Amino acid sequence: MTKHALQKDPLNAIITGVGGQGNVLMAQLFGRALTDKGFAVTVGDTYGAAQRGGPVSSHLRISKQTLYSPLTPSGQADIIISLEPVEALRVLGGWGNPGVVVISNTRPSYPFDVTSGGADYPALADITAAAEELAQKTLFIDASEIALEMGAPVLTNTIMSGLAVGLDLFPITADDFIAVLKNQFDDKKFNLNHSAFQKGLDLAASNKWSD
Amino acid sequence: MENKAYIRGQKELREEVHDTGLCTGCGACVNLCPYYATSRDKTVVKDLCDRTAGRCYAFCPRTPTDLEAIRQQLFEPQDLTPELGAVKGFYLTRASDPDTRSLAQHGGTVTTLMSLALSEGIIDTALLAEGGGSDLPSGVAVSQASEVSKLAKSKFIAAPMVEAFNKAVLSDAQKIGVVATPCQTLALAKMKMKPFPKNDSQIGKLRLTIGLFCGWVLSWRSFKQLLDQKIDQRKIVSLDIPPSKYKTMQVETNSGLVEIPLDEVEACVREACKFCTDVTAEFSDISVGSARLPDGWEVAKGWNQVIVRTTAGEALMQLAKDRRVLEFREVPGGNLDKLKQASLKKKRTALDNLACKSGDRDDLLYLDCRDPVFQTFDW
Amino acid sequence: MADISNKTEGLADLLLGSEAIGRGALEGGVNVVASYPGNPSTEITEAIRQVAEKMNIYVEWSVNEKVAVETAAAASFAGLRGLSAMKQNGLNVALDFVSGISTSGSNGGLVLVVCDDPSGITSTSEQDSRPLARSLDFPLLEPGTFQEAKDMTRFGLELSEKIGRMVLFRSATRLQHARGRTLLGSLPEEKRKAHFDTSKQYVAFPSLPRHVEAKERMAQAKELCKDSAFNVYEGPENPDLLIITCGSCYLYALDAMNLLGLWDRVGILKIGTVWPLPDDLIKTHMAKNSRILVLEEVEPFLEGNLKELAVEWAADVSMPTFFGRRTGPLSDTGELNPDIIITALTEILELTYEARPPAYDQQAKAMVEKLVPPRSLALCAGCPHRASYWAIKNAEVLDTRDGFVTGDIGCYSFGLFPSGYSIMKTEQAMGSGPGVGYGFGKLGQFDMQQPVVAVVGDGTFYHGALPALVSAVNNQSNLTLVVLDNGATAMTGFQPHPGTGLDAFGHPAKPVLIEDICKSLGVRVEIIDPYDSEAATQKVLDFMNDEQQGPRVLIMRQQCALQMARSGKLYDVWVDQEKCVGEDCGCNRYCSRAFKCPGIMWDAQAQKARIDEAICVGCGVCAQVCRHEAILLKPLKAVQGKDS
Repeated sequence: MTKHALQKDPLNAIITGVGGQGNVLMAQLFGRALTDKGFAVTVGDTYGAAQRGGPVSSHLRISKQTLYSPLTPSGQADIIISLEPVEALRVLGGWGNPGVVVISNTRPSYPFDVTSGGADYPALADITAAAEELAQKTLFIDASEIALEMGAPVLTNTIMSGLAVGLDLFPITADDFIAVLKNQFDDKKFNLNHSAFQKGLDLAASNKWSD
Repeated sequence: MENKAYIRGQKELREEVHDTGLCTGCGACVNLCPYYATSRDKTVVKDLCDRTAGRCYAFCPRTPTDLEAIRQQLFEPQDLTPELGAVKGFYLTRASDPDTRSLAQHGGTVTTLMSLALSEGIIDTALLAEGGGSDLPSGVAVSQASEVSKLAKSKFIAAPMVEAFNKAVLSDAQKIGVVATPCQTLALAKMKMKPFPKNDSQIGKLRLTIGLFCGWVLSWRSFKQLLDQKIDQRKIVSLDIPPSKYKTMQVETNSGLVEIPLDEVEACVREACKFCTDVTAEFSDISVGSARLPDGWEVAKGWNQVIVRTTAGEALMQLAKDRRVLEFREVPGGNLDKLKQASLKKKRTALDNLACKSGDRDDLLYLDCRDPVFQTFDW
Repeated sequence: MADISNKTEGLADLLLGSEAIGRGALEGGVNVVASYPGNPSTEITEAIRQVAEKMNIYVEWSVNEKVAVETAAAASFAGLRGLSAMKQNGLNVALDFVSGISTSGSNGGLVLVVCDDPSGITSTSEQDSRPLARSLDFPLLEPGTFQEAKDMTRFGLELSEKIGRMVLFRSATRLQHARGRTLLGSLPEEKRKAHFDTSKQYVAFPSLPRHVEAKERMAQAKELCKDSAFNVYEGPENPDLLIITCGSCYLYALDAMNLLGLWDRVGILKIGTVWPLPDDLIKTHMAKNSRILVLEEVEPFLEGNLKELAVEWAADVSMPTFFGRRTGPLSDTGELNPDIIITALTEILELTYEARPPAYDQQAKAMVEKLVPPRSLALCAGCPHRASYWAIKNAEVLDTRDGFVTGDIGCYSFGLFPSGYSIMKTEQAMGSGPGVGYGFGKLGQFDMQQPVVAVVGDGTFYHGALPALVSAVNNQSNLTLVVLDNGATAMTGFQPHPGTGLDAFGHPAKPVLIEDICKSLGVRVEIIDPYDSEAATQKVLDFMNDEQQGPRVLIMRQQCALQMARSGKLYDVWVDQEKCVGEDCGCNRYCSRAFKCPGIMWDAQAQKARIDEAICVGCGVCAQVCRHEAILLKPLKAVQGKDS
C-alpha cells in the first residue's frame, strides 16, 4: 500500500471546533482535494443555529466508490482533527474507538456555560491524558499560538491542515492541498495560507505522536 | 441558647423574605452589590446570585436574628426592659425653635437632634427621608444642619434608609447619622454585629441612629390607589393620623382638610408590618414618636415622646438640653406604661401572625421563640 | 461557497446540497429566483446569486416568503422559469398564495424548494412539508443524494412546465448542509423573453373546475414520473426485508446496510418522486416482500400512503408487515441518523451489533460526562441584542409589575435562553412578538396589569410585524414595541432587507425606514443606542409607562457585533485587576455571571475577571455593568454604529 493510498474504505474523519474557527472551510478544502483525486467524498456539517459559539463538526466520509452519509455512525471515526481541545474530547466520546487518531489545537475557546459560571473547563493536562487513553495516538499542538505569531488567528485551521497532511492522515499530498488553496484564495490570502500550511507540515516533521 | 442567626445567600433571602411578604423594603440588601435595587416601594432582585452566604442575608432584618445577642452587645444590661428595649431615659420634648416646629410633623425633636449632631460635628452626614405622602420617598444625604428641617414631615411610606446608608458609606462621609424606622434600625444593628467579617469595615461610620416610633407603614401602590379615589394628589400638603380614637387619617390639601376612614387606610398597610414586634425602634440610640397628653391631641401633637437608649443618645440629649435647642416638659404619670402596653400589643400581634404564618408556635420564622423577651408575656 | 456556473459538463464537483440545487436551477434555465432567507434553505439562493449577474438571472431577497413565491410565479406566468426557496416555516407564510396557485396553475417552469428541518435544529418546528403536496395537488420531489438534488431541480422545472403546475421540491437540513460528489450537466443556451399571453388566465376561481383540472395534471405527472430514474431499487431479488425510503434517510440506510453487512438480505427501494407515488413500481416490490421498513423524515407520510395502497391491493398483493415511524420501532419525532436505523434493523432482524467494545464505550461516555462542559449557543460577544435585553430586563425588574417579553424569530430568539436572560416568554413565528404583544395590549379590560414588551428584529419587522402594528394603531392596543435593529438579517448571513438600502447584489436600493413607517402611522417612535445601558433602561421604563393610548415603538439601533468585529472595536477594554472584586460578596462575578457576555472570562487562578481579546468587539457595555469601576475603556475611534 502506498503512502497516499486510502488506508480504509470508508475513511471517516471528523474535523471539529467551535463556530467561527474555520473548521467547515477546512473540511471543505480537504473534501475538494480528495474529490479532485477521484475519491467519492461526503462532507457533512453539523451545527445548530448559524452563529458563533456552538460546537461545529464536519464529517468527511472518503471512499473509492460509494457515497456515504453525511453523518458518521457512532464509534466509527478513524481520524479526529480538532481546533479546540475539549471539542476533541466531545467527538472522541461519541465517535472514538481504540483505533482512532486525534490531532488537536490546544488553545481553549471557553463555552458560554463556562464564562457565565455554570460549568468548569478542564485543565489541558486532563484533556490530553483522557485523549491518550481513548485514542490509538494523539498529537496536541498550540497551533493558535503559531497563527498569532503570524498575525492572524484565523490561520489556525490551515496550520492544522498542514499538520494533518504532513502526518499522512489523508490519501493526498501537500501539493494536492496547496492546489486547492490556490484555487480558493486570492494571491495575498493564498500566500498567507500557504506559509501557514507549510508551518503545519513542519510541525508534523518535528513532533511525535503520544501513544 | 443555640444561635439561630445563620447566614445564607440570595436564594434563601428570596425564598424566606422577598417571596413571603416579610420584606420591609428597608434596603439593607441594596447597594452592597449590583444584584438588588429598590424600585416603586419594593426591594427587587435584578439578577440571580449563587453565593451561599451573603451580606444581603446577613443584614436583612427579616432573616433569622438573635435579638438577645444584639441587646447584650449594644445596650447596657440594666437599661433593658422586655417591653421597650433599653430605656436610659424617657422624655417629652419639642424644638425650642418655633420655625422648626412649624415645619415638623409633631414637636420637631428629630429635626433638632439631627441638626445639632451635624452642627456639633458628631456626624458629618445625616440620612433622612425625602418625599412621602403618596410619593415614593427616598433616603437623601444632608451635610448642612439648615437642610434638615426641609425634610421633616412624617412619611407613611417608608424610605429605604438602609439602602441610603449602604450608598453613603461608599462616599466621602465618615460619620453618619440615620433617621430610621424600627425594621431599619434592626438592620443597622445587625450590621453592627459584624456578621460578615470580610466586608463590614464600613459600619464604623454609623455614629447615630434615631429611630421613629412606627405602628406600620403603607404600601405605596395600594395607598396611591386609595388616594386616587379620594383626592387630586397634586393638592396634598401633609398627612397625619391622630390618636386611634379618631379612627381617621387627616389629609391637609390646598383646598382644605380631607379625612379618610382609618380602616380604609389600614387595608393598605404593608404586609411585612404584620410581622414586626417593634413599635419604638428598640435598636436605635434615641427613639422618637408622637406624644400623648391629658391636654388632648391638639396640644399633644406639638410634642414628642423620646426614649434614650445608649450613652451616645444620652450625650446628644444632654447636649440638646445644654444648648437649649429642645424644650422639655414633665412626663405625665402612666405615659411610659401606656407605651409599654402599646408595644406589647404589637409584639403579641406580630408573634401570633408569625406563628399563624408558619403554622407552628415554635417556629417564628425570622424570630426565635426562645427569645427571653417573648417569655415575659402571653401571646 | 462554490462557483456553481462551471461550464465543464461531466466535471465531478464537490457541492453542498444547496449548491447542487442551485446548479440544477441553472441547468434548468431558471430566470427568476426570489426567496426569503432561513436555515437550511439560504445557501440555495446565495449560490445562484453569486453567478446571477453574469448569467442574467434576477435574484432577490423578498420581504417575505409569500412575496417571494409571488415574484417567482409572475416569471412563470410570463413564460420564464422561476424558483423560490424557503424553510418549512416560510412555506406557511407563503401558503395562502401556494394554495391559490395550486388551483390556478402556472406556465413556465416553477419550483418551490422547501427545506425542512427534522428535529427543528434551527427552527420552531420540525414540520414535514410533504403532506401539503397531497392536500394541494402538487408533484413533490425529494432528493436522496447530491447528484439527485441537482438533477431533480432541473427535472422539476421541466415537469412543472409540462403540466402547467408548480412543483414542490423538498430538501432537509442534512442534505442542505453536506457536500458530496456531483457530476455537472450542461448549462442551457436558451435566452427567454418575458411575455404574458393575454389569451390565458391564471386564476383560482371558480375553484371546483380548476381542482378537477389539477387532478388531471397530477395524473399526467404520475405518468411522466412512472419510469423515473429517481426511483431506484438496490438489493437481492427476494429480500428478507424491504426498506422503502426517501430523502436524506437513503444515505443513512446505505451506511447501516454496509456496517451490518446486509446487502444479501435486505433491499432498498428509494423513492425520489414522492408525490404522486410510482404505484406500479411499489406494487411490484410490495408483492415480493412480506416485511417493509419505511424510513423517512419526519411524519409517516410515505408509510401511511403505502399502507393505503396495500389495502387497495389487498386482493392481489398479500398484506406485508410494516415497520416505520407510525408502527415502530422508529420514533415518530426527531431526525433519523445511521445509528437509529442500525438499531431498528438489528431489532427487526434480531441481529447484534457493537459499534465499539462495550468497555471502551463506557469509558468514553464517562470521560465526556466528567470533563466536557456543555457548549450552549449564546449571543456573540458584544451583541447589541444582549445590551438591549439587559436594558429591557432591568426596566422590567424596576417596573415591579411582573412584565415580560413577547418575541419571535432571529438571533434575538436567544432571549429565550440564559444568554438573553430568559426574558422572552412567547415565541412562535416571524412577527409574532408584536402580534402577541398587540393581543396582550388589549387585555386591560380583564385587569391585565403586567407591562408587555414586544420585540422584533429589523428584518422581521418588514417580514411579519407590520399588520400587527397597524392593528395596534387601529385598535389602540397598549403595546410597547422594541425593534432590535442591527441593520441586517444577521442570523442567516447578512442578507439585505428593505431597511438596509441594498439589494441582493449589494447595489443601492431605495431604503424603507422603520422610523418613517412608524411616523406615517402616527406612532410615538424614538431611536436609542442599546450600548448606552442606563439611558436605554430608562427609555424602556418610560415607554412601558407611557399612559397615552395606543402603541409606541422604540428602535434600539446598533450594528451587529459580527459587523463590528470586521469594522473594528469601539473601545479597548481591560480589567483593572486591583479593583476587580471577583467572587467576593459585593460582586460574585457580576459581569460574567449576570451580564453573561462571553467576551468576559474568569481567570480562576487570579480570581479576577479578564477580557477575551480574541472575541471582544469593544462595545463597552460591560464597563457600565461593573459597579466597581474595574472594567476600563479606551475609545479607539469616533463612536460609530450610531448610523442614524
